[in-house]
Amino acid sequence: MIKKIGFIVNPIAGMGGKVGLKGTDGVLKKAVKLGAKPIAENKALETLKEFISHFQTKDELHWFTCAGIMGENELKSVGFKKIEIVYTPKSNKTTDIDTKNTCKKFLEKQIDLILFCGGDGTARDIFKIVSNKIPILGIPSGVKMHSGIFGINTNATAKMLNEFVNKRLTIGDAEIMDLDEKLYRKGKWNIRLFGIAKGIVEPTYVQVGKSIFESVSDDEVKNELAEHIKDEIEKNSDYLFLFGSGGTVDYIAKKLNLQNTLLGIDAVYKKKMIGNDLNEKRILRLLQKYPKVKLILSPIGAQGFILGRGNLQLSPMIIKKIGLDNIIVVSTPAKLSSTPFLRVDTGDKKLDHLFTEKEFMMVVIGYRLSRVVKLQTNNF
Amino acid sequence: MGGQILMNRNATAFLNNEYQELVEKDLDWKLRILESGSTPHSVVDGKKVIMLCSNNYLNLSNHPKLIQSAIDAAKKYGAGSGSVRAIAGTMKLHIDVEKKLAKFKRTESALIYQTGFAANSGLIPQLVGKGDIIISDELNHGSIIDGVRLTKADRAVYKHRDVGELEKVLKDADKKYRRILIITDGVFSMDGDIAPMDKIVNLASEYGAMTYVDDAHGEGVIGPEGRGIGAYYKIEGKIDVEMGTFSKAYGVVGGLIAGSQDLINFAFNKSRTWLLSGSHPPAVAGAQFAAIDVLEKEPQHVKKLWDNTNYFKKELKSMGFDTGTSETPITPVIVGESSKAKELSNKLFEEGIFALPIVFPMVAKDKARIRTMMNAGHTKEDLDYTLEKFEKLGKKLEII
Repeated sequence: MIKKIGFIVNPIAGMGGKVGLKGTDGVLKKAVKLGAKPIAENKALETLKEFISHFQTKDELHWFTCAGIMGENELKSVGFKKIEIVYTPKSNKTTDIDTKNTCKKFLEKQIDLILFCGGDGTARDIFKIVSNKIPILGIPSGVKMHSGIFGINTNATAKMLNEFVNKRLTIGDAEIMDLDEKLYRKGKWNIRLFGIAKGIVEPTYVQVGKSIFESVSDDEVKNELAEHIKDEIEKNSDYLFLFGSGGTVDYIAKKLNLQNTLLGIDAVYKKKMIGNDLNEKRILRLLQKYPKVKLILSPIGAQGFILGRGNLQLSPMIIKKIGLDNIIVVSTPAKLSSTPFLRVDTGDKKLDHLFTEKEFMMVVIGYRLSRVVKLQTNNF
Repeated sequence: MGGQILMNRNATAFLNNEYQELVEKDLDWKLRILESGSTPHSVVDGKKVIMLCSNNYLNLSNHPKLIQSAIDAAKKYGAGSGSVRAIAGTMKLHIDVEKKLAKFKRTESALIYQTGFAANSGLIPQLVGKGDIIISDELNHGSIIDGVRLTKADRAVYKHRDVGELEKVLKDADKKYRRILIITDGVFSMDGDIAPMDKIVNLASEYGAMTYVDDAHGEGVIGPEGRGIGAYYKIEGKIDVEMGTFSKAYGVVGGLIAGSQDLINFAFNKSRTWLLSGSHPPAVAGAQFAAIDVLEKEPQHVKKLWDNTNYFKKELKSMGFDTGTSETPITPVIVGESSKAKELSNKLFEEGIFALPIVFPMVAKDKARIRTMMNAGHTKEDLDYTLEKFEKLGKKLEII
């Protein structure tokens, strides 16, 4: 079957990087003045060329894109023929409105995958329109790429596209992250979890026969994780359970019939939800009432952070009170295969050091099944 | 009032549906028919080939002493054993094999299972249960994985042959669990590398963990006289469970465990696979006995296997092939993409060489390979012919 691929290039993505602006959201003019040059076009071309030269004949895909510099030019210049223009930007100075309008058309056309070239900002704009209805794959070209939908470089992205087209990759959760650029330029770090999109992921394989492996869906793996957490809750009936943010933890909670918040921290005691979307203060109050606590976390975003990205409510004081041994990290094997390390960035150097001293964590990857994963602190 | 039947269920439609699904994905087994014995030169699907994918490492399945011993036992004791071991199916023949095996393995005792799979899936679930943990190498063989699945114990996986990671898991598990069981393949069947069993045994004794090694590809192959991984590391008797098989280098069929008398008493009283399947026919036991006898008295077979292995591997490497981390007669020829491995295998078959491709997800996506297994029965001419074809096709397919 012919795959329908939506293609968007954010021509200004990444321009703030080299001139030290940490993003172009709202400050494009300044970036240009500082000598910023467009880089997205080249990144998009590199990816498409790699895709064509190594993997794919040119006509098996049906492309949907925007006119001119937002996709059409790149697709044509590498020689794709089956291209449908779904939207034309009003001027050459493209904005997020153009991205969003294009995505509305993508929804109408029921395309199979959106391939875009940009950074976290572009990802957010796309996600705002398509939510988790269409899987998204990002060619990394922004200044910040904390979201879990990016390939690690143009080559890897081309490879993922090829594997998706050939049905060797499956669809799974991917976090869209949001960094407040205004705050960030002032030196403050505040990355929130913006939403859970659909991304393309490596399937998990389970050996079913001597040499036969069956790929199991993301949901099947998460069902196993839910089963595991259910046992943990039953085994530790006098513990308060804090459910962290993100798609994996959310899925587990919903499977256990708990009305969890996707992006927030929630508290469960004796199998009942006793607090939703908690901030630091409310968590601390709960910790006074319930001295025995277990915290369920999952890596968030592209770099494997379990703390410090998307869950800043879990302050250093909270983590210390809970204790490192009471943290349960869960992850699908697919997610771990793209994040070989777990990272923490709690904002407290001493606490980070306690994690690094541990060197590793046992990560639950299936029902009663765990594996060793190395820990790193945020040193980049 | 009778209930209304709502469902018009086709009870067996799934049989064909699921089979067709496998066929479409090219994941179904297409059985190759052996029209000769499993010999270094076999007839497969009507074609004469040099056999590179048999586990009959020492060519003992064709050894006159094994064949004669099987015939003698059948003539004397009949074709079948009549019962499960526990009731009336334990013949003196079986006990003789077990005694001989324990002596050969230099352990207190030994026990024969119906198959290697029966040993793993029968014994592992008895060794651990709720509140225990099994720590397992990530590349362990499927039958270990199934045995592990049958237990109520927790499971933790460490990186392939990574003793550092193993220790981290042990440290973590030490305070949380009642029993700890470390399980590993002895020789890994995809890469032909060997588990660091000496280090694993040391770590295990430090943390009070049990050790269990599946030495299916090491029995009859590694260590002096092919006595397996315990002998290879000179730690005989120190591995809690040495598990193996008679179906590979020994040239017959059947699973085995070797260890303390306590282990054996425990194992045969508790392993459901052992208790609930019929015992080996006399011919099988006869051949097993002779296999151990041959290993003890005719060291030339193991020596020839290693001479062949070393020569074949050296020549492959000098041609520029990547043989990975193999330290044993299992020699992978790593070619990269899955399609290339399949193509090479097909072309080799056309040239009269039978070697199977191993592709993703059995191995990493870019590490698809042809897995070759040496045999003591290969002549130098066989190997030279094979090497010549590998070189020719390797160049043609741009692997070297």
